[in-house]
Amino acid sequence: MNAPDRYERFVVPEGVKKVSYERDTKIINAASFTIEREDHTIGNVLRMQLHRDPNVLFAGYKLPHPLQYKILVRIHTTSQSSPAQAYNQAINDVDKELEHLKNLLEV
Amino acid sequence: MEGGGSYHRMPKVRIREMKDDYLKFELRETDASMANALRRVMLAEVPTIAIDLVEIEINSSVLNDEFIAHRLGLIPLVSDRAMEMRFSRDCDACDGDGQCQFCSVEFHLWARCESDQTLDVTSADLKSNDPLVQPVDVARAIDAAAAGGTLSSAVDSSDNRGIIIVKLRRGQELRLRAIARKGIGKDHAKWSPGATVTFMYEPDIHINEEMMESLTLDEKRQWIDSSPTKVFDIDPNTQQVVIVDPEAYTYDEEVIKKAEAMGKSGLVEIYAKEDSFIFTVESTGAVKAYQMLVNAIDVLRQKLDAVRYTEDADFHLLDEHMGGAAL
Repeated sequence: MNAPDRYERFVVPEGVKKVSYERDTKIINAASFTIEREDHTIGNVLRMQLHRDPNVLFAGYKLPHPLQYKILVRIHTTSQSSPAQAYNQAINDVDKELEHLKNLLEV
Repeated sequence: MEGGGSYHRMPKVRIREMKDDYLKFELRETDASMANALRRVMLAEVPTIAIDLVEIEINSSVLNDEFIAHRLGLIPLVSDRAMEMRFSRDCDACDGDGQCQFCSVEFHLWARCESDQTLDVTSADLKSNDPLVQPVDVARAIDAAAAGGTLSSAVDSSDNRGIIIVKLRRGQELRLRAIARKGIGKDHAKWSPGATVTFMYEPDIHINEEMMESLTLDEKRQWIDSSPTKVFDIDPNTQQVVIVDPEAYTYDEEVIKKAEAMGKSGLVEIYAKEDSFIFTVESTGAVKAYQMLVNAIDVLRQKLDAVRYTEDADFHLLDEHMGGAAL
């Protein structure tokens, strides 16, 4: 009767940002990103890619609750980089890997 | 900001076996997170087309309306069009429940039993308004007919009678209109193109040959038989233990325990290669297994693209609010 719509699990509601950024107040070069309507698929692949970046001191993600359709990605970097830079770099790197995979498959 | 380095991998793929609804391939030089992301996307986020809205006009069968609607939803439909189609919730050409070429396909079904023999209403009775979107078994029968033989003989052959929706006795009738839409497995399992998608780590098996040779032939046989799957065997010529099928190993560690029990710990060492995966993909037929993998890569890239962080994202939102306020 009052069940939420099924698509609420993967459609970002109006007025809500897909990705939001919150700086850590206690540590410099640390921040957490909140990604709406994403789960382990993106979270884990990003975390592992961030670990490959030598400027990343800490990278972790969590799915706070199974009924809250969002993930939190926390990043702490050296002063050579910044959380936002490392985050976007990780996305670009995973994307390059997938592009490479796709090229392999379409011979 | 300084330009960050690039740390991406260059994975390798080798396809071992490929059929329309089955794919076995090796994925190497990457991480479990990538393998798992691909698996998860193939199962839950590669779009397909499935019946989503059913309007029943007449139903005097023994099954109730919602039961039939559910069964219709589960019939796999050929979804080659799905990647290009729109989700009906973001279709601006229609209000989401009508006949719209961009987001929906209409089906009609009319069956009435007039004889004393039970009538099977099957997926072959569903009449589509789009020849590209058919139940997969019907599409297969059409292809078989085109390749040779008549359509009716292909449909009637005992192994391909279609998917039974309901059975009717004399006088019973079923008449309905159904709308199929694009969707993803996350929404409802009927939209999942995957029957099974699994991956395993490739095992790396090392036999300590010196220690193995200290075993008698009988002991070797006992040790080989301790494995629940046939991983090892004895070479009939040299009587040495050989690895016949490393991938049959299920990481049960029975052979390691057996070696310990025989007082021969360290007889065999088995590791999982952390960067080699063997995938098995089985499709429902809605999307070909190989295409499932290609589509999964596309979907994953679209998802990644959507989660890029732009600092001016806040300004865009501000613009929207100001635009709204000005009106």
